[in-house]
Amino acid sequence: MNKCIDNEIQEVLPDLLHESLDGATRQRVEAHLATCESCREELDVLRTVRGAAVFAPVIDADRIVRQIPPYRIIVPGVEQPKRTRMVSWLVAAGFAVAVIGGGALVVTNQSRPSRSVASSASTTPSQPSQPETVTPADPIGTNAGTVADNSGQPHALALASAADLSDLSDGNLVQLMNDMNNFDALPGSEVEPVIAVDSSDSI
Amino acid sequence: MTPGPERRLEETDMELIKRWKSGDSRAATRLVGRHSQALARFAASAGEREGIEELVQDTFVRAFASLDSFRGESSLRTWLFTIQRRLMLDRRRAERRSRETVPVQESDQISEYGALDGLIAEEAQERVRKSLEALSPTQREVFTLRVQQGLSYKEIAEVVGSTEGAARVHYHNAIQTVKEYLKDE
Repeated sequence: MNKCIDNEIQEVLPDLLHESLDGATRQRVEAHLATCESCREELDVLRTVRGAAVFAPVIDADRIVRQIPPYRIIVPGVEQPKRTRMVSWLVAAGFAVAVIGGGALVVTNQSRPSRSVASSASTTPSQPSQPETVTPADPIGTNAGTVADNSGQPHALALASAADLSDLSDGNLVQLMNDMNNFDALPGSEVEPVIAVDSSDSI
Repeated sequence: MTPGPERRLEETDMELIKRWKSGDSRAATRLVGRHSQALARFAASAGEREGIEELVQDTFVRAFASLDSFRGESSLRTWLFTIQRRLMLDRRRAERRSRETVPVQESDQISEYGALDGLIAEEAQERVRKSLEALSPTQREVFTLRVQQGLSYKEIAEVVGSTEGAARVHYHNAIQTVKEYLKDE
């Protein structure tokens, strides 16, 4: 038996088997088969292989369909995580900002009273030059002024908390001048004592 | 004009997909019923012994979950074969990892694919089985897709991730091997 050299025919033999050839091609292939033993043999082999299809279990289509989510559920399900992720990131970012901002506020609030206390405890004459340590609503400053005015005696707290020299009574001014005379040198204009006290407090 | 009963019976895959997307679950049943056996045969021909139904189910679940990406440029069955083939490869990789074997050689793949024992009973089937086992994994895939499933070379190339030319060569080599084997038997 001579081997067929018509590759074009051989290539479409499976299509003939599956009856997927158009009319004209089918006629041409069948005409070729009538005269070509090699191609007839090959077609027989293909029929044998196709007929001896490997066993495959019968598939329960309904069972499979039950596992398939409806389309309307699938599509939002695909998109929803993206939205959820974005919202989650925004919430997380907002939370982080709130925590950081709140923490900073708490630290600031905690450090202010200690500074005032430290200032009052230090009784340094440099305090009048640091009005930021005494708030208008500060009861200590108010009370200190009252105490100084009422008693007529210079009071360290009054000296420390007075925002301006004009707030001091004559007695306080005299006391302040006396204290300044006792200093070897005037302290620096910066907040040296406050920084030192803050450092020790934080430790 | 409403389509007659014959027209409805011949609904194309794309029409059924459209119906399913609009909420008709019966369209999914039709699609699964239309293609599930072909997928099972393909899996069995490729050497899958166990869990074929689960494999087919996973294929459909994955396919339906990503139907929006199916443009209809190939047939739905070809697309399903492609998905199932990837799942089969994943399975084999997982099995290979679990066995912690040495890197797989071609001969190993053949023996792995050749796990068709007990699936074919008749003598003729046994001969065909042995002839298929003589093929390389890719040759077997191409050959069974061509002969048993009737796919075109273009579709086969799509499924196995190759070119039409390569698919033709694989088919040509496979048919020669099978013919020789069956002639010698």
